[in-house]
Amino acid sequence: MQISLQKILPVFFNAADVSHSQVWNQPVVFDEGANTHIIAPSGSGKTSLMHFLYGLRNDFTGEIKYDDTSIKDFDKEKKATLRQQTISIVLQDLRLFPDQTVYENIAIKRLLSTFHPVDKIAAMASRLGIQNKLQQLCGTCSYGEQQRIAIIRALQQPFKYLLLDEPFSNLDEANREKAMELIQEEASARKASIILADLKKIDYFNAGSILNL
Amino acid sequence: MQLSYQHIKPFLNTRQNTASRWMGYFGLGLGVILLLVSVQLYININVLLKDKNPRKDGYDYISVTKLISNENMAEAHSFSDAEIEEIKTKSFIQDATPLLANTFLVKASGSSAIPFTTDLFLESIDNRFLDTIPENFSWKQGQAIVPIIISADYLELYNTVFAPSKDLPQFSEKSISAVLIQLECYAPDGTAKIFKASVVGLSNRINSVLVPESFLTWANKTLGSNTNINPSRIFIKTTDANNSELLNFLQQKNYNINKDKTKFGRVKQLLQAIVSGLSGFGVLIILLAMLLFSFYLQLMIARSKDNLQLLLTLGYSPNWLSKTVAKRWVPVYTAIVLTALILAAIFQWAFQQFFLNNRSDLSPYLHWMVIIIAAVLLLLSIFINYRLVKKLLLKL
Repeated sequence: MQISLQKILPVFFNAADVSHSQVWNQPVVFDEGANTHIIAPSGSGKTSLMHFLYGLRNDFTGEIKYDDTSIKDFDKEKKATLRQQTISIVLQDLRLFPDQTVYENIAIKRLLSTFHPVDKIAAMASRLGIQNKLQQLCGTCSYGEQQRIAIIRALQQPFKYLLLDEPFSNLDEANREKAMELIQEEASARKASIILADLKKIDYFNAGSILNL
Repeated sequence: MQLSYQHIKPFLNTRQNTASRWMGYFGLGLGVILLLVSVQLYININVLLKDKNPRKDGYDYISVTKLISNENMAEAHSFSDAEIEEIKTKSFIQDATPLLANTFLVKASGSSAIPFTTDLFLESIDNRFLDTIPENFSWKQGQAIVPIIISADYLELYNTVFAPSKDLPQFSEKSISAVLIQLECYAPDGTAKIFKASVVGLSNRINSVLVPESFLTWANKTLGSNTNINPSRIFIKTTDANNSELLNFLQQKNYNINKDKTKFGRVKQLLQAIVSGLSGFGVLIILLAMLLFSFYLQLMIARSKDNLQLLLTLGYSPNWLSKTVAKRWVPVYTAIVLTALILAAIFQWAFQQFFLNNRSDLSPYLHWMVIIIAAVLLLLSIFINYRLVKKLLLKL
């Protein structure tokens, strides 16, 4: 599996304004198994890029290809299969169900396409320090806790690419490291690539290449 | 663990608007009962009002004329060849033939036994339309005696009204054949041909004075003023005089028939129209209930929009979601249609037992057609529900 970007540019961007970018309007290839760190200051389109890659939005020119198929040609069913088997994401706005418990939020993803046995949820929660929050309503958790919930949820399924959009913005240094460690372990177990976008470089992310957006 | 509706149920806002959901269920049930019962009644009417008069060969023979009203009195009331051909082509009419009438003046007078004299008319019809064909009902040129078939009603009228008032003898069906009548046929120039005639048979089917076709053809040609006169009476042969298509055709053409023959048909037409209206009303209620239910679905999906959108973002397939959400109503719809079917069956049983006092010609069970309609309704509502949910989900 390979994801390739062929000169993509959000329709609301000017090509002249992004001439310095190593992603926009450039040919980029994300090979399976290779981690990529995208460093992006505010307003450079980091979240848009993640949405484009995950097939949430199509408002860009150029092409994003999963192997030979353009993501714009994926219908809703095909996108669903892609999200179950090939690609997982931690969105910047997290997108959790506020009225469900932390456990239910994670389990609903695990049920859809299972990679781990069910007790792994508690084990992961324990590693990230939210084990006693599992039965709490998600909406009542702090933003930092919610970030960890979203990370654990993204790690329940099989994937070849894991997209992370500022996944640690509300975590302290110790928790960032723990989360990064867990994520990299999980990616290795699947021989998967991590594409992590953040405002500045994260030192403990073992990236094969660094791209400035 | 297999994913099921139970897993996504917490994400759907199903508790809202229960009143409109239950109204939808109730309306659907009511509409289905109304439709099923009226279809069953339609079938009952067909069974009960079938003409059961014994018929010799399974056909009705009916005389058709053109309706004479105040508006069209001046017009010709005869049938053209095209009109006869049109009648013959109709699938509900098995055969049709014109009644040929005399085009010359005929006078009949009795012998000394029954002294009377009268102007008369003669008609002839193809032998295949006669109920009884006496052996000697034929005529060849030169034959002095013309055989006649008269309506059995005429003999009855003669015996019961005419003969007693004039002090004339009464005749049985057999003895009438012994009476010879004198037939005087006049050409327009006044020349007359005289024949003897005898009544060789009585007809219960045709109200007329019938002579063999060969005689009338010859006499019209020899004595008649106009040989190409169109017939004003047509006899038709049909398997069911109460067939609504036949009645509609006759009505539309303004043709007149013996109402006695078709009285069942008229009642049946009226009852069937009422019952059809009732089933139309049933369909209308079903449609309204489905509409109400679709509002409930739309509201539920709109209120669960964020959750459903997030499920799709997480990778839930729209197909799976619509199927799973729609499947939730399969038992509900099944229960509604089954209840309606059971109530319709109870109705039919009670109708046969109590209203018709267990009449043997009507089954106390539902007709298979009603059961098929119920099954089709069930499948249709499940399918419509699935399409609606899917459409709403894909719009998210």
